[in-house]
Amino acid sequence: MARKVTTQRMALNTVLAWAIGLLIFFPILWTILTSFKTEAQAIADPPIFLGFNWTLENYVEVQERSNYFRHFWNSVVISLGSTLLGLVIAVPAAWAMAFVPGKRTKDVLMWMLSTKMLPPVGVLVPIYLMFKSLGLLDTQLGLVIVLTLINLPIIIWMLYTYFREIPGEILEAARMDGATLKGEVVHVLLPMAVPGMASTVLLNIILAWNEAFWTLNLTAAKAAPLTAFIASYSSPEGLFYAKLSAASTMAIAPILIMGWFSQKQLVRGLTFGAVK
Amino acid sequence: MATQHSRAAARLMISPAVLLLLGWMLIPLGMTIYFSLLRYNLLMPGNNPYVGWENYKYFLTDPAFSAAIFNTLALVGGVLLITVVGGILLGLLLDQPMWGQGIVRILVIAPFFVMPTVSALVWKNMFMNPVNGLFAYLAQFLGLEPFDFLAQAPLMSIIGIVSWQWLPFATLILLTAMQSLDREQLEAAEMDGAGPFNRFFYIVLPHLARAVTVVVLIQTIFLLSVFAEILVTTNGGPGNASTNLTYLVYAESLLRFDVGTGSAGGVVAIVLANIVAIFLMRMIGKNLEA
Amino acid sequence: MTTTIRAGLLACAAGVLTASAAGAETITIATVNNGDMIRMQKLTDDFTAKNPGIELEWVTLEENVLRQRVTQDIATNGGQFDVMTIGTYEVPIWAGQDWLVPLNDMPEGYDADDILPAIAGGLTTDGTLYAAPFYGESSMVMYRKDLMEAAGMEMPEAPTWDEIRAAAEAMTDEDAGIYGICLRGKAGWGENMAFLTAMSNSYGARWFDEEWNAQFDSPEWEATLTDYLELMNNYGPPGASSNGFNENLALFQQGKCGMWIDATVAASFVTNPADSTVADQVGFALAPDKGLGKRGNWLWAWNLAIPAGSEKVDAAKAFVAWATSKEYTALVAENEGWANVPPGTRTSLYENQDYLDAAPFAQMTLESINAADPQNPTVDPVPYVGVQFVAIPEFQGIGTAVGQQFSAALAGQITAQQALENAQKLTTREMERSGY
Repeated sequence: MARKVTTQRMALNTVLAWAIGLLIFFPILWTILTSFKTEAQAIADPPIFLGFNWTLENYVEVQERSNYFRHFWNSVVISLGSTLLGLVIAVPAAWAMAFVPGKRTKDVLMWMLSTKMLPPVGVLVPIYLMFKSLGLLDTQLGLVIVLTLINLPIIIWMLYTYFREIPGEILEAARMDGATLKGEVVHVLLPMAVPGMASTVLLNIILAWNEAFWTLNLTAAKAAPLTAFIASYSSPEGLFYAKLSAASTMAIAPILIMGWFSQKQLVRGLTFGAVK
Repeated sequence: MATQHSRAAARLMISPAVLLLLGWMLIPLGMTIYFSLLRYNLLMPGNNPYVGWENYKYFLTDPAFSAAIFNTLALVGGVLLITVVGGILLGLLLDQPMWGQGIVRILVIAPFFVMPTVSALVWKNMFMNPVNGLFAYLAQFLGLEPFDFLAQAPLMSIIGIVSWQWLPFATLILLTAMQSLDREQLEAAEMDGAGPFNRFFYIVLPHLARAVTVVVLIQTIFLLSVFAEILVTTNGGPGNASTNLTYLVYAESLLRFDVGTGSAGGVVAIVLANIVAIFLMRMIGKNLEA
Repeated sequence: MTTTIRAGLLACAAGVLTASAAGAETITIATVNNGDMIRMQKLTDDFTAKNPGIELEWVTLEENVLRQRVTQDIATNGGQFDVMTIGTYEVPIWAGQDWLVPLNDMPEGYDADDILPAIAGGLTTDGTLYAAPFYGESSMVMYRKDLMEAAGMEMPEAPTWDEIRAAAEAMTDEDAGIYGICLRGKAGWGENMAFLTAMSNSYGARWFDEEWNAQFDSPEWEATLTDYLELMNNYGPPGASSNGFNENLALFQQGKCGMWIDATVAASFVTNPADSTVADQVGFALAPDKGLGKRGNWLWAWNLAIPAGSEKVDAAKAFVAWATSKEYTALVAENEGWANVPPGTRTSLYENQDYLDAAPFAQMTLESINAADPQNPTVDPVPYVGVQFVAIPEFQGIGTAVGQQFSAALAGQITAQQALENAQKLTTREMERSGY
């Protein structure tokens, strides 16, 4: 495995990779920095990179205008809720498809994915009317249901690809040992599937957290998550770069931090069966 | 191995997912098809008479329609091209030994966590704005005329923003695929005298075919309905220069509140998306076999 | 893994709890993220102190998103909002559909007769008031006195378009980042089309003739668009095709614009030293004309209305009365100074010496508002009502589509001629479909 690499080569790789990495990350970094500037410093010419007076006034102002924590809480509930509900529905389906494949399995899977291609704007009015009559408008439950449904195909597909990599012989062996179906799942299947499941969960939390069409259109105040919070800053109000940056930072920080901490788990499983 | 019994059990286990998705697809779709045959404008409540194909005719003859088709394809194709090629290159780089690889990976993955609205707002205002954006400062610094991205190259700008969001995803999948490549095979090729380019084209690239397919499939699903980025940055303009199909349907049903025509547009978009889907599935189905 | 699940379950349970804990009467207010509304939101405490038992929930959105959300909600009787912020365009149309709660019985001391007649006229259908104006506006010229002086020019109180052009030319200094004139270019019936329609009125153009035929093939429209494009291409800022009210406000506050023709309500923002770098250098003039007897100024108000689907009409009414009352004006004056009170709604404000002293733009605003005539917006007679819009439901769609064309012309993607042809075609197409 170990390849011999010259120090020069290593240094070159490092410099190049860091330069590109920083370039890709720069917009986020710039946003975070700007959020601590005053409005005047935010548009200063030439732009100030670090030598400004750090201030928290933008955060105070944003918090004064919107109840950040409630939006944050809604985002948490909606993304976790829809991921869990999705998992409950998807695990059995993916398990069955992976271990008892039929002639149509692949078609069913592809059909499921194709439901994700429905343009949401095309069906907004029908869904809005349905939600209204079911009393689901502006509720966390309503959003959990919608986000579960739109992410379900992805969850099923991801789980299917992981389950399929678990050799059937292991299950056979477990069965011979007289394990019950439940035992089979708990003791054999789960430990092998955990990395894949973790990755699936993380990816879905990210997708649900960032979903901006349904969350904005089906909520008003009570269930509005951070995507709705950011929508009230989407046009300038005089000088507003610093405020916009503060609001943006507040909206993305939780998911960014979660993503960074769990990136090993996310990356390990994020293959969609692309790697054999 | 699959007994009658286990087949029945399997069917039972799949059915909740299938039924839910079927409901999620059929109920709104049914309502959309029904609305698409009515004259139904939210601003003009009335008895919503049946008008047959009128809405379809109206939507399909809209001068913006052909532009929207073109823009949709250009957007999907452009982003796919940038992210796949960029992802392979970046993957190759990250696959090399270096110091601080973990941190670089954290930096590269970050845009994937940013919600589309936020990334569009940040790019539009803080970078592409021709008066106060960073690019304008950069241009001035270099003695150039600031370029007005969203007016002069609206579609390209949006492709750029969306590519930035999706590049991490492509890179990660492709990188994982590269890491699974058998090193010995590469080393053997090297000993046989194959240069880096030959090794890349004859060994690495074929190995990546499956990963590329996956990236294309997943991204296409999301890219067909890109919306927030357009709404925030250009509102589909100037003119129709950055209107995609999703945005056109939005304009009909939620800016003009013409639910009838919007629904007809929705049905057209669904049909077209499914054509793309079938095409894609055929292509990919082969690659995903075995 | 298990901790994630546990946390999730806890989260769900807690979510259910918070949802059911709401006890006091809570009204949900949908509003625009314009400066005056954000100020109102910050003064919430004053309302809740005076009205114990009523809680306020704010949904603050960007104008286009807000309009889409509230229209969708009211038309489907969704009932998500108890108070909606809507414009002069929506009020008569929505009132005609019986979508709004009449506001004739406002609490004692509200003094509805004090509302400026020009504004109240647009909010009244068959003698019934359907929305209460939060602020009213016309449009006027705001210009930089220092730049005019440096150019050796003087702005007349009632300029013509030719004088505006000369002033723009004189003030432009691209090397210093100063553009002679900033105008709206962002597509939208309430954005560039508000400005262009008002401008076209002063050129004698009209949207429709008396038989509802689109008039974009008229020489008046051609003159309007050509002059607008010439002004903007030569003396406007880069990126003008994506500038709306808020973008231009930011540019003007930064001192990048020599002139800005836009809503009178902007006057208090550009003269506020806290936000504006040019606060003490701003002069005001009436919207320009072309010697045809009409000026290019519009008439608009942002109003608070209660959807008929609201179940909390009394609480909502209490809020509307509070936010549009004389007391609210006094409250803002106390907190932020007289110059920052919401303008353009009440006669008494323009008789208040404190206000007139603090707001150099007050007289010009009132004059502009009174000069706008929604019944006869342009030189020739028209079949419609509305200065910078046409008060028919189809207008939003048509206006925005035409706005896209003009915005494309400003971005240089098509010529003025093509833009007008496209506008004519698409307007005719929409109107035919609607059975006019």
